[in-house]
Amino acid sequence: MQKIRTAFVFDESLNATFLAELFEGDTIYAETVFEDFLKDLPVYWQRVEAAYDSQNLPVLGTSVHTCKTLFGYVGFTDLQEQCQQFENKCSVNSAEELRVDYILLIQRKERAQHIIEKEYARLRLFNEGK
Amino acid sequence: MKTTCIIVEDIQIAADFLRKFCEKSELVEVKGHFLNVADALEFLDREKVDLLFLDVEMPGATGFDLLDSLTYSPKIILTTSKTEYAFDAFQYHVNDYLKKPFTYKRFLEAIQKLQQQMQTQEPSQTILPQQQLPATPAQGSDTDFLFIKSEDKLVKIKKDDILFLESMRDYVKFVTPAKSYITYSTLKNMEEKLIGPLFLKVHRSYIVNINKIDDIRGNTIYLLGNQIPIGKGHKEEVTARLNIL
Repeated sequence: MQKIRTAFVFDESLNATFLAELFEGDTIYAETVFEDFLKDLPVYWQRVEAAYDSQNLPVLGTSVHTCKTLFGYVGFTDLQEQCQQFENKCSVNSAEELRVDYILLIQRKERAQHIIEKEYARLRLFNEGK
Repeated sequence: MKTTCIIVEDIQIAADFLRKFCEKSELVEVKGHFLNVADALEFLDREKVDLLFLDVEMPGATGFDLLDSLTYSPKIILTTSKTEYAFDAFQYHVNDYLKKPFTYKRFLEAIQKLQQQMQTQEPSQTILPQQQLPATPAQGSDTDFLFIKSEDKLVKIKKDDILFLESMRDYVKFVTPAKSYITYSTLKNMEEKLIGPLFLKVHRSYIVNINKIDDIRGNTIYLLGNQIPIGKGHKEEVTARLNIL
């Protein structure tokens, strides 16, 4: 009997409606993008950490800006908003004033990365027909 | 015929999406992808394209810096994740503004709108609207003056009085000792009109009046209190034209 394939359902913490529009059902491309995200995010995040450690707030703002864009491509639209707020604060607050927001952002980024790792693994299995 | 474009974008995932959308549409041909403004400008010095997909925040220089340096006017679609640039985008007359990440549907809307604009503009190219009249040299002879359209009137400027011209993308600033005038034109267009022994293009964004140069220090021309950079690609010609011993 032929197996009926259901559509891939993204994790509920991601903006599934937007991802459906973005990938238009192309789960192979979604897998590529999620893989690229996992490869690129640590590189960009290093810049965030280096900028925060050196208290270079303009660079901190632009580095978070880059990560914000990246989060958008894997459906974290809410995290994009959090990044945007942090980015705005970089131009008016001191590093000390940003400390709590920075810690919250790190925690949120860690959770997001973990979710995408799982989603990437699920996409791979889905695309392999398993 | 396909619209030719380049992508200027420092985030690879964003550039890959754009390339994929261009290919899928079969309306746009991607001639290159550049991670920064400097590389894009180097390419644009050699080759013209119809359209730029341009990110704003990139390492080194911004998308607006690139627009300031352009010597011709391709169509521009800004691709950025910040809506705060909308006002600047308007000031620079960009054709559309795509907020990243955007879907194929939104991309296609922008391209179709752009191609419609291009089609409607083509037949009227020979008759420019009044407010877009470019600078006009006096017709028929090798005159020592020209007229430029500035602030709703045609202003007569003696060529001898011009210190330098500066590109401002779709506009050119004429700087004289007394006053500066901005007119709707490109530096390329001006270069053709001002060709002769008096003027020399020293940078992609500057043409100077040779007679007005005070001195040159390193890669900078000093000219009545103004500092004009000499572009790498123009250094040889500057050296030759100025009789530098």
